[in-house]
Amino acid sequence: MAVDSKIVELINADIDGEISPADKQELEAALAADPEAQAMHAELSGLSRALHELPDLDPPPHLKHAIMASVPGPQKEPAREGWLQSLFAAPALRYAGMFAAGALLTLSLVSSDQLSDRAFTDVTGLVGTISSEVPEGPDVQTARIDRPEVAGRVSLRSSGPLLIVDFDLVSSGPVDIEASYSDQTVWFNGFAQLESTGASVSAEAGRFTMQIDGKRRSAVFLHNAGDRDVAINLQFKSGDAVVYDTEFSYAQDASGR
Amino acid sequence: MNKPDDKELMERCSKGDRQAFETLLVRYEKPVYNAAYRMLHNADDARDVTQTVFLKVYENLDQYDPAHRFFSWVYRIALNESINWLKKSSRQEALVHETADQGDGPDVMANDEQLGEGMEAALMRISEDYRAVIILKHVLGCSYIEISEVLDIPEKKVKSRLYTARQLLQERLTQQGLH
Repeated sequence: MAVDSKIVELINADIDGEISPADKQELEAALAADPEAQAMHAELSGLSRALHELPDLDPPPHLKHAIMASVPGPQKEPAREGWLQSLFAAPALRYAGMFAAGALLTLSLVSSDQLSDRAFTDVTGLVGTISSEVPEGPDVQTARIDRPEVAGRVSLRSSGPLLIVDFDLVSSGPVDIEASYSDQTVWFNGFAQLESTGASVSAEAGRFTMQIDGKRRSAVFLHNAGDRDVAINLQFKSGDAVVYDTEFSYAQDASGR
Repeated sequence: MNKPDDKELMERCSKGDRQAFETLLVRYEKPVYNAAYRMLHNADDARDVTQTVFLKVYENLDQYDPAHRFFSWVYRIALNESINWLKKSSRQEALVHETADQGDGPDVMANDEQLGEGMEAALMRISEDYRAVIILKHVLGCSYIEISEVLDIPEKKVKSRLYTARQLLQERLTQQGLH
């Protein structure tokens, strides 16, 4: 015989600690008289206990800092539009503007003889890349970082002859990111960032270095002229200490081209 | 000195007080993270959802209705964001297959650790609505009335949903040979 619906309700209320003293008395009397109700009470108590025993998890230690770094600071007086902003005033061109600003910034920061005539060949197809979520997928390699000094993710994907290294990071202080790639047919091809300041990049043969401080979303474009397999080693340093390192491998065959 | 309550902190937040926001973050980071983890069963996703939740809270401070308690607002955002995340990533389908294959049959005796893992798997095999109500009750320790506020459903419906959710959980555990 099924347990009376009123008693079922009382059993659930008891399990949830939401039963009145009068109802509790009624339940106790029912349990004493009905072994099925007793079995149901025991079963639900066990289930409730097992749920309560699920471990209480601590969030990653860097999460609070990452969230606070993402929250906009106090409102500042809006800056007057300069020639670059007015040039890219149309919404459709805003991300292009960000890229261009990043590229211009890069040009002023990068000292490399590799850049000269080969850099910034054609990145029009990549406009918006940095504004979008990096897609997850078999063609995208992602490293998730969760260290007290730096947290977030770095991804590698390819687009035509370009390898794109996306950085979506937050750091608690200055962190240097050193990337090295052994293949000499790979060269630094550009840099973009969402914030107009914050990350700085320098490049030389076989490597680039970027410094971040706070929350930064940026991307580095590498030209893979030989369309060969490439290994990119990334080291994150806080002061002299390496706080994280990883390696991405781009395999030509795996790219599907 | 008394700790400021959520309402006072929210008032200060809406005036641009970042420290008040940080206090709320410290207070609710862990429950939000745990709720997201139990909804998603993935630590990385739970971290990302937690971050999104608090950014949404900050961005929508002006939409907060002081007639409701802060926690009900933040928990509602957390559950909705987790559900959106599941829909976006289609992780749930994969998890259902994964967990469905984990059953060892009814002859296996369950120890505490197995039961814990089994419970996590079983939770992922009930629908989001039922999972949400279980999480609110058993992970976040909300009362019926608080759950009703978070989910915006009548208290009576909270009770019936909890009852059904527990039945489904029991069924899943039995299928996994853990009950």
